[in-house]
Amino acid sequence: MAETWLGNEDTVNDSQIIVGLEIGTSKVCVAVGEVGENQAVNVIGLGQAKSRGVRKGEIIDVALAEEDVRNAIVEAEQVADVEIRDVFLGVTGSHVRGFNNTGVHPVVSADREITGADIQDVIKNARAINLPTDYSVVHVIRQHFRVDGQDGVLNPEGMLGAKIEVDVHVVSGRYNRLQNPIRLVNGLHLEVNNISSSALASSLAILGMEQKELGTLVIDLGAGVTEYAVYSAGVIKHTGVLAVGGDHVSNDLAYGLKVPLARAEQIKIDHGSAVIDPEVRDRKVSLSDDSLIPGRQIDLGHMQKIMSMRLQETFELIANDIGRAGLIEYLRAGVILCGGGARIPHITRLARDVFKLPVAIGRASTVSGVKNALDEPEFATPVGLIKFGAFQANASPRRGGIGRVIRRQVAALFGR
Amino acid sequence: MSNSDKQREGANPTIGLIGLGETGVKLVEILAMIAPDGVVAHSLDTDNRSLSRCHQSRPFLLGQAIPCGLGTGGDSALARGAVESDSDELIEILRGTDLVFVVVGMGGGTGTGAAPFLANLAKQAGALVVGVAATPFDCEGIQRCNQATGGLRDLKQVADTVFHFPNQNVVLMEGADIALHQALEIANRHLCEAVLGVSRMLLEPGMLNVSFADLQASVQGRHSLGSVMHVEASGEDRVDDAVQKLLAHPASQGGEALKNASSLLVNLSGGDVTLAEMDAVTVAISNRSPSAKLVVGVSGQGNEEALKLTVVIAHAGKLDGADRESAPPKLDPNRQTSDLGYSDPFTVPDTGSYLDLGKESDGKNRNGFAYTPPAPPADALTPECREDLIRVAAKEEPNRTKRRKIIQELLPLEIVSKGRFEESEPTIHKGEDLDQPTYIRRGVVLN
Repeated sequence: MAETWLGNEDTVNDSQIIVGLEIGTSKVCVAVGEVGENQAVNVIGLGQAKSRGVRKGEIIDVALAEEDVRNAIVEAEQVADVEIRDVFLGVTGSHVRGFNNTGVHPVVSADREITGADIQDVIKNARAINLPTDYSVVHVIRQHFRVDGQDGVLNPEGMLGAKIEVDVHVVSGRYNRLQNPIRLVNGLHLEVNNISSSALASSLAILGMEQKELGTLVIDLGAGVTEYAVYSAGVIKHTGVLAVGGDHVSNDLAYGLKVPLARAEQIKIDHGSAVIDPEVRDRKVSLSDDSLIPGRQIDLGHMQKIMSMRLQETFELIANDIGRAGLIEYLRAGVILCGGGARIPHITRLARDVFKLPVAIGRASTVSGVKNALDEPEFATPVGLIKFGAFQANASPRRGGIGRVIRRQVAALFGR
Repeated sequence: MSNSDKQREGANPTIGLIGLGETGVKLVEILAMIAPDGVVAHSLDTDNRSLSRCHQSRPFLLGQAIPCGLGTGGDSALARGAVESDSDELIEILRGTDLVFVVVGMGGGTGTGAAPFLANLAKQAGALVVGVAATPFDCEGIQRCNQATGGLRDLKQVADTVFHFPNQNVVLMEGADIALHQALEIANRHLCEAVLGVSRMLLEPGMLNVSFADLQASVQGRHSLGSVMHVEASGEDRVDDAVQKLLAHPASQGGEALKNASSLLVNLSGGDVTLAEMDAVTVAISNRSPSAKLVVGVSGQGNEEALKLTVVIAHAGKLDGADRESAPPKLDPNRQTSDLGYSDPFTVPDTGSYLDLGKESDGKNRNGFAYTPPAPPADALTPECREDLIRVAAKEEPNRTKRRKIIQELLPLEIVSKGRFEESEPTIHKGEDLDQPTYIRRGVVLN
């Protein structure tokens, strides 16, 4: 499959169609993008379906999930008026984790000039990671090179040096659990071009070059999982997945207010708030009459307390993790929230209180296209997957860029 | 010793040995033979036959009217009735005694039933009451063991302290292959050594005295289960030897008993006890029991080669004055209380009767006694239940708070449903299950 893709690249025309598919916990979302001749990405269609077969970002019911994916794909095909044959797939789950690694390679040529082959070798060394046997690599993302200890080299090709080092960020996950969504998509007679961690995809959609340079934390507040990625000095420094999301908020409310889960979900959407509104304290809301107990009232203060505690805890866990990685000082552009959870009222206020940084809701500013898709924070991942796909397509195999590395690795992952 | 002698005696406390029941009588006979001067021995039984063998002690037949000298046949209620009917005479016997050892073999009828009542009479007569109770071997049958456990608990609630000698310890020490008569002999010897050790400690003139007041301060009103260890050693390393023996003694429970003690009375008896020897013993004991109040005494003549070491372990139960909650014995919950109570004539509440002992203080200040039913019949008790009873009896006083904690732990915990995440892989972060609502994990109360 990867080879086919490479073949296509030679005959790339001015309207390459790229499709991003995210099988989320609350919804399955398909974004169809068009890459123009100047590499500009234009979103031309979106397809959505309510997801029923996914918990915490991972498939628990294949049949239901398959049906939902098919519905979403069909809708996207109709909206964009294209036939979808292959997709870029977002993967997530509590098993996906990111860490940094370093590769070292001595430059052996007589003139000490660093060649493309040396760069390939050093990256290869960086990829030689001791993973548990059931884990496989999703991404190896190049951060910086060091040539004889000189730090911050972006492209060492043509430089002179005796030793070349590279820092990479590696995202890995359990092989079998990564395979599940791939197999599901393959079962619908669709190709999976590549997989990307959802955290990476979201940040690609949202962040501009400047934000990456300044240092930004992107938090994707999904229904099943919360993913986050830290950019600093233009490169990805840290990623993480927390298997806590909007579902947990609803579940807490269902437990705390003693209402059915679906009702809790509705209450969350109607009256939810990330911080406790002082006016709401002691205010009661009657549940509408289809409730089993007529005239049942719930306390809005309690509801917002439950909600705010859960969200605050989620942010605190992320803040602790980033703090442990020593990156909190580098976030000069602040925190950007996306995903469905970013629509909770006052969520930026809560995040600002926890992180003590400026917080904004993410917009997919780096692509153009359907207004709806770009304005809503929950579409960051599928839109980002288009961007990921475009980036891969643009990466020249001659330069041996990151795209090729990943493609090779994905080819190995799929065993094709 | 008659009552009028007591004032004249003055310096030494009057020690009364009361043997109750067949075992008690036998033991008192032995003790009376070798006891130091100043110990008065009485043998009390409902059975004429056992009393007829008394030569050293003063026999007294309990319940002349009801069992009429034929024994109780294991019926502790009958024994209680007998001893109640003779309470006036018994008070006469007990009057003027400072320290009463109620020596009893638990598990039978007379000892089990009469000991608590007798201990209470002695208490009323103003004596410090120390129960010395042997409990039967496990192989003597579950009913006997249960009865013994119940009797032990009843006695403990009345007596200031009870020195408990489980015969089963002999099996633990010597193995089960030992002949029965040897086992009994060893058990008796331990028990006698304890009583004699304490008596000597109080009566023998010493260089450093452990006085009656020390004993009184340690045990009076505690209603706790204590123990006495008496070891002898001779030779070069007699101190090391004695300390080793002390720690190996079954009553020390591998040093645990020392650790839990609230006060320790240590008496060294032997010829030419050096300061170094005394120091070695004190250090060895206080190392294992850093918090206990330690009283050390030294006595003995110059020519005795053996070193005798007597250690009295007392536990700080609650004092009489403190508020006590009576902890109901942990019995099979399905059993009705009425099954456990008495339905015979002896339950008729009489002034000064056994049943009234706990009533004088309106339930607030119970004076350390509460009516507790006797051990239920054997078939009602599972081995676990029996274990519990023994544990309750053994630990009730010294570890009151601990025991309560255990009960607290057994309460059912609130089960937090994880709702839709019940079936999914739990999200554990640093030992916290993040699937549970945050407000519950943080203990926030919604009201």
